[in-house]
Amino acid sequence: MLEITDLVTEFDSVKALNGITFQAKPGLITTVIGANGAGKSTLLRTISGLERPTTGSIKWFDQELTHKSVEAIVRSGIAQVPEGHAVISQLSVAENIELGGLFRRRIARGDLAIATREVYELFPILYERRNEPAGSLSGGERQMLAISRALVSRPKLLLLDEPSLGLAPLISAQIINIVNQLCRSTGLTVLLVEQNANTALAVADHGILLSLGKVVADLPAKIMIADSSLRAAYLGY
Amino acid sequence: MSKVKTHKIIGLRSTLLAIVFFIFIILLSNQFDAYNQSQLTNIATLLIAVFSITLLTGASGQISLGQGAIMAVGGYSSALLVTRLGFSMWISFILAIFISALFGLFLGLAAARLSGPYLAGTTLVMALAIPSIAVRFEGFFSGDVGLSVDYGNPPDWLTNLLGEISIEVWSLYVVLPFTAIALFAVLNLSNTRTGRTWRAVRDNEVAAALAGINIGRTKVIVFVCASGLAGLAGALYGFRGLVAPSVYPTDLSLTLLTAAVIGGLRSIGGAIFGTFAIVFLPDLIEKITKNFAIPENIGTYLPALTIGLLLLITVILNPRGAAGALEHLRHRKRH
Amino acid sequence: MNSFLTALFSGTAQGAIYALVSLGLVLVWRGAGIVNFAQMGQAMFTTYIASQLIQHNYSYWSAFVIALVSGAVLGALVDLGLMRPLTSRKNSQLLNSQSMRTTIPVIASLGILGVLKALAGILWAGEERGFPSPVAPNAIKIGSTNLAITGFDLFVIGVVFLTLVLTTIFFTKTGMGLAMRASALNPEVTRLSGIKVGSVRTLGWAISGTASSLAGLLVTPRTNLSPNTLDLLLIIGFTAAVVGGLSSLAGSVLGGFILGYVISFVNVYSAPENVFIAILAFLLLALFIRPQGILGSKEVRNV
Repeated sequence: MLEITDLVTEFDSVKALNGITFQAKPGLITTVIGANGAGKSTLLRTISGLERPTTGSIKWFDQELTHKSVEAIVRSGIAQVPEGHAVISQLSVAENIELGGLFRRRIARGDLAIATREVYELFPILYERRNEPAGSLSGGERQMLAISRALVSRPKLLLLDEPSLGLAPLISAQIINIVNQLCRSTGLTVLLVEQNANTALAVADHGILLSLGKVVADLPAKIMIADSSLRAAYLGY
Repeated sequence: MSKVKTHKIIGLRSTLLAIVFFIFIILLSNQFDAYNQSQLTNIATLLIAVFSITLLTGASGQISLGQGAIMAVGGYSSALLVTRLGFSMWISFILAIFISALFGLFLGLAAARLSGPYLAGTTLVMALAIPSIAVRFEGFFSGDVGLSVDYGNPPDWLTNLLGEISIEVWSLYVVLPFTAIALFAVLNLSNTRTGRTWRAVRDNEVAAALAGINIGRTKVIVFVCASGLAGLAGALYGFRGLVAPSVYPTDLSLTLLTAAVIGGLRSIGGAIFGTFAIVFLPDLIEKITKNFAIPENIGTYLPALTIGLLLLITVILNPRGAAGALEHLRHRKRH
Repeated sequence: MNSFLTALFSGTAQGAIYALVSLGLVLVWRGAGIVNFAQMGQAMFTTYIASQLIQHNYSYWSAFVIALVSGAVLGALVDLGLMRPLTSRKNSQLLNSQSMRTTIPVIASLGILGVLKALAGILWAGEERGFPSPVAPNAIKIGSTNLAITGFDLFVIGVVFLTLVLTTIFFTKTGMGLAMRASALNPEVTRLSGIKVGSVRTLGWAISGTASSLAGLLVTPRTNLSPNTLDLLLIIGFTAAVVGGLSSLAGSVLGGFILGYVISFVNVYSAPENVFIAILAFLLLALFIRPQGILGSKEVRNV
């Protein structure tokens, strides 16, 4: 269980997160939605350690993550797929995937090979293009690669930052579906940040609605999707 | 708008400061013996070159490790004008400014395309290569031997006015007006629109470009101004007696940078402090170590060690230099 | 014909050394965004260590190995003790400006250079001394004809070639090599992959220190050793790195060899006093024609 309590993150004394509290249950998809600037990305970046919170705490089961380094957080089983299909374009597809499991190469070499095979099965196109530079991939393929890089680290919690950003609806639906299947079949916990609330809520179990750095609604996804007044007030449609 | 600018260029404050500086140095020189008077002349000369670094690095963020080489350009220009073409010393100084500025223009055109470390490396190569040109074209530049030039003798009207003047004092009298004018110029520059434009480029090139500042042109202009200053310093430096490659070694460039850094890259007062420090520090160290039995080889390298350590300590503990530390103290008192 | 061969062979041997220096500079530049002007000061220092050991009757090879190791240690120390704290500090006002963030490390590296030179002077006197080579610097003979290449040249070329092969294997075939490339290209994604980018960066400094230390050991049998001997090598290495492309490891090696040939041909066909001017001219030419270098990519330069 991911427990976030009274989280505050500031940039030059502007509070991007202003006291966030919620929980994400294991094995489920929790989606964080909200308008531009609501603090969604900052939330994920604070969980993964890229931003330092001013106050508050982040706990993954009984592990305190709040002041750990990015590397230590990844090594404790929390992988982030950052915004904008973050892959290293000068490296090949295979190298990008290898990078994700690099820190485990001494402790779990055998499992690394299995994990790599699994992501290639999940995204066969990546296997076909494994020797090409990641920069030559299409936007959707890059997102698949970014997710694969995270998956080979065998995360227990996957933080996805706007995976559908800039992708064609069909492709983003495909990617979200794969994440959904993964969650259901392996028990992976997913925290999905999305601007496209409908797509996200359609697969999610639980919805968190952010506005101006605060949680304004914390509801089961089914209820949130039906609440048109909530959407009108905070998302504008 | 142009009215505002004119008003600021003839700023009262900078005029006063320049005059105060001038009088201060004169008074100080009266207290000194001949050796320290010539050290004071060195300070007044090198200060102009350190100002060029304050301008370049402190105001616009470009780094040059080759100001010594530009000093050489100024030195050779004026020395050649005097020895080969019979120009008067004073006119040769003025022309040296323009020739070095022209050189700075070419350099600036190359430098505008370069950022940080590229510029640093290129100017370092320049610091090494330019003095060697004098050796290469020995017939014209007199090679390693160099060109002998000096400040000459004080004119009669001055000796009539002040009585007999030693050569050390006369040297100071030649250099000091230029230093005061340079001080006046850099003080003004930092307060005008131009100065603000430069600082904007230093702080954030992208933002400056978005605000409509022509980054390339600004960098070139800064380089031209700084080169003119360094060239003037080089000319004055050479007329102490000799213009030769050994007078403008690579270490000179690094010494100038050190002075600017330990004083505070962004501050003109800091430049003055830093220059005093690097000129008098070796003397001070010698005075202290004379009382101890320190082997000669250690004594030789002690000033270099101290200056290197000072540079490191400044960068680590207080990158804004002595001037920054002072400001910090003042700030704390007020609260 | 014979002078052409002389220029070619000595150019290869010199170029091999320049390639090491340039490689060292590029390693640190890619990893940390810093051009380390103290690099050859570090190498000078470790070569003095080797020289001292040899004077105290250690064998050449044990001194050689110890110098390389101390090169690595010194490189790592510079990063851990100075560069890392300098670049990680965020709140200092001076470092808030873009250009100052690149300027301050340059100044810091010059400070290290000054301190190392002064320390070497204090510890081992300023006098120039010779440095031995394991191979006699005589021309190789076949029958009675002297070839244009010396045994020492061959030794240098062999050692550097081996080093380059090992470096290539390290970067392309090992996980640590991949981690180093990734950290240089995109530190954030690399950290999110669980890799300690800071440690990887320190390793880069260590490898760079080793490479330049090796360059010092290989060049001083010819130039002798003094606190200032290796300054020129830094200048040449920097030019080589710019010519080849500061962002490219392969480019830096290529640039080293190009500079080797340029300098060697200027030496043979023109005059030694033209070398400095040739370097400056070559550098300016490279900057005007292809500022990103032969193998460099454009975007990296503006970061």
